[in-house]
Amino acid sequence: MTAEAAFTEAFVEAAGVRIQLRRGGTGAPLLVLHGELGVPGWLRAYERLARHFTVYVPSLPGFGQSARPDWIVSVRDLAAWVTWFIRDLKLSQPLPVIGSSLGGWVAAEIATMNAGLFTKMVLVGAAGLQPDEGHVWDYFVHSNQEALAQAFYDPAKSPEYARYYGTAWTPEDETQAEGNREMAARLLWKPYMRSHTLPDLLRGIATPTLVVWGREDAIIPLNVGQRYVRAIPGATANVLDRCGHLPEMEQPDAFAQVVLDFLAPHA
Amino acid sequence: MVKEVYFFTEMGYTAYPQDEARRLGYNNLMFPNEHFSPERAQQLYAMYFDELLYATETGFDGVMINEHHNNPLSMMPSVNVIGAALARTTRKGRIVFLGNVLPIHDNPLRVAEEVAMIDILSGGRVICGFVRGLGQESIATNTNPIYNRERFDEAHDVIIKAWTTPGPFRWEGRHYDYRVVNPWMRPLQKPHPPIWIPGVVSPESVRWAAEHRYPYVALAPPLHVIDEIYDLYDEVAAARGFTPTSEQRGYVIRVSVADTDEKAYEEGRHFFWQLGTSFGVAPRHWLAPPGYMSREAAHSRRQQARVGVTNITPGGPALSYEEAHATYQIVSGNPDTVIEKLKRIIDVVDPGYMVLWGREGLMSHEVAVHGIDLMTREVIPAIKAYQAAPRGSSRSARPAEREPARP
Repeated sequence: MTAEAAFTEAFVEAAGVRIQLRRGGTGAPLLVLHGELGVPGWLRAYERLARHFTVYVPSLPGFGQSARPDWIVSVRDLAAWVTWFIRDLKLSQPLPVIGSSLGGWVAAEIATMNAGLFTKMVLVGAAGLQPDEGHVWDYFVHSNQEALAQAFYDPAKSPEYARYYGTAWTPEDETQAEGNREMAARLLWKPYMRSHTLPDLLRGIATPTLVVWGREDAIIPLNVGQRYVRAIPGATANVLDRCGHLPEMEQPDAFAQVVLDFLAPHA
Repeated sequence: MVKEVYFFTEMGYTAYPQDEARRLGYNNLMFPNEHFSPERAQQLYAMYFDELLYATETGFDGVMINEHHNNPLSMMPSVNVIGAALARTTRKGRIVFLGNVLPIHDNPLRVAEEVAMIDILSGGRVICGFVRGLGQESIATNTNPIYNRERFDEAHDVIIKAWTTPGPFRWEGRHYDYRVVNPWMRPLQKPHPPIWIPGVVSPESVRWAAEHRYPYVALAPPLHVIDEIYDLYDEVAAARGFTPTSEQRGYVIRVSVADTDEKAYEEGRHFFWQLGTSFGVAPRHWLAPPGYMSREAAHSRRQQARVGVTNITPGGPALSYEEAHATYQIVSGNPDTVIEKLKRIIDVVDPGYMVLWGREGLMSHEVAVHGIDLMTREVIPAIKAYQAAPRGSSRSARPAEREPARP
């Protein structure tokens, strides 16, 4: 049995929304909240993490094959849904969470309100804050293909990029990417990829937090990661070299190791 | 029966360096505005306003105006400012706003006030169109395109209510909130200026127009999609219990008319003045930002592309000047030729209103004015006198629209 095969993909009803859920591994639950580009499959990084946890990767409402309820129009709404998802799936609480980009913002929002839900929190290239310098790259004046190329430091050297995005897109791929883009626009259009209040709310977080960033992140600049580290009490950082906005795809082994080190002991 | 005929120009800002646009691969939204010269724009405005005034004085029933942002296609980034200027520089004729881009306004009551002002200033000459805007408009004004249609609907509702219901009242909607709706300025025409809905092919817009009994104005589409548009309109109208007449149908058509067919054909190339296109060049994701186009509309356009239907509407596949003649998205010729071609369009559409898009690009002022003369003296009287068969009655008799004769 290959490790990559050791996952299931199913549709589940969670908190009133029909959700595409990938899960794999054994042991305590680990929740993964994907970013605004959606999640294309059971990534190598998840497979690595699944050796130690039962990894849950839902396509968030409006992304992937998951339904898009009318009432989720903000990151705050999405954050509320995530807490209900954890409850409805009866995941043992508290549990660790990894949030990438949009998913990182969602996790941080939850942590500002509830210190009891997450044991530990990993924020990966997290959205939600305005850069001290530069801008968050604008998805909405670029194409889906341009966004993916921008999200990788070196797409040509990334097996995950080649696997999921490197071949000619089918009409279904186009529709899927456009659906993700629509949900992202709904949540993130204005103010773009940031909250005006999150900077002040972060100081209330009591969840141990690791901030992981690709040094060459060309979507959300590294200085946003530094802002997160400064704002969240006790947060630590790990910056991955030769890595863009999607460390879990571009440096899957290094990423998984950094996360596992932070989450240890794994029980 | 064609009841009224209006004149239109996009008022292109023709002085930008097209080589630079070609190099960048686009000529709008993010095309650097360092290439805009206010002095040059002043000259162009003077010329365009002279032509519009001349058109209203010599036989057109009015002029059509519109609005685009970040775009040398048009020097009308505010339809209401242009309309206000025309209200006091023209003495007669309708001013046809096609139209106010409702979704980009955070305060649609401002639109209600301005249109009411212009209606009064013009002595009740306003026809008030509402549009969703090109995709770029959402980006240029940073209005979430996901809510484009919702905002269009709600802005329309609050404007109409402000015009028809005595204030003050409150408005608490999904996108708009007002403690006090009580605009002092109300339109001269009662209950309000006529509302027209222009569009390209989006089926929702056609349906919405029919549901509100508003005329639907087809913006220079390929002639063979006309049946699709107005059949849908008729179907919705029937369900609502009314039978549309020609007064529910408007049609905008590019027209190049000159003394000879050859001269008109050459001058007509000015309609394709932007990198060889009519509307300019932009990446698809600017034209269709996320959620701007419904799945149904996307399907409709894909459908067109699939069956090889090119068009020169925004977002459509690039169409050559020659092909645009074949699909009747432009007609050119001497007055007799143009009259015959317009009669053919009238046979298909049976419009109550036609807009002759009569000048574009680098066409000279003299040529434009001569074209206006030929339209007002020969073309307009002929098409107004032409008695078309009722729409649809000639459908089986006429040749397939996909293969019209080349000029």
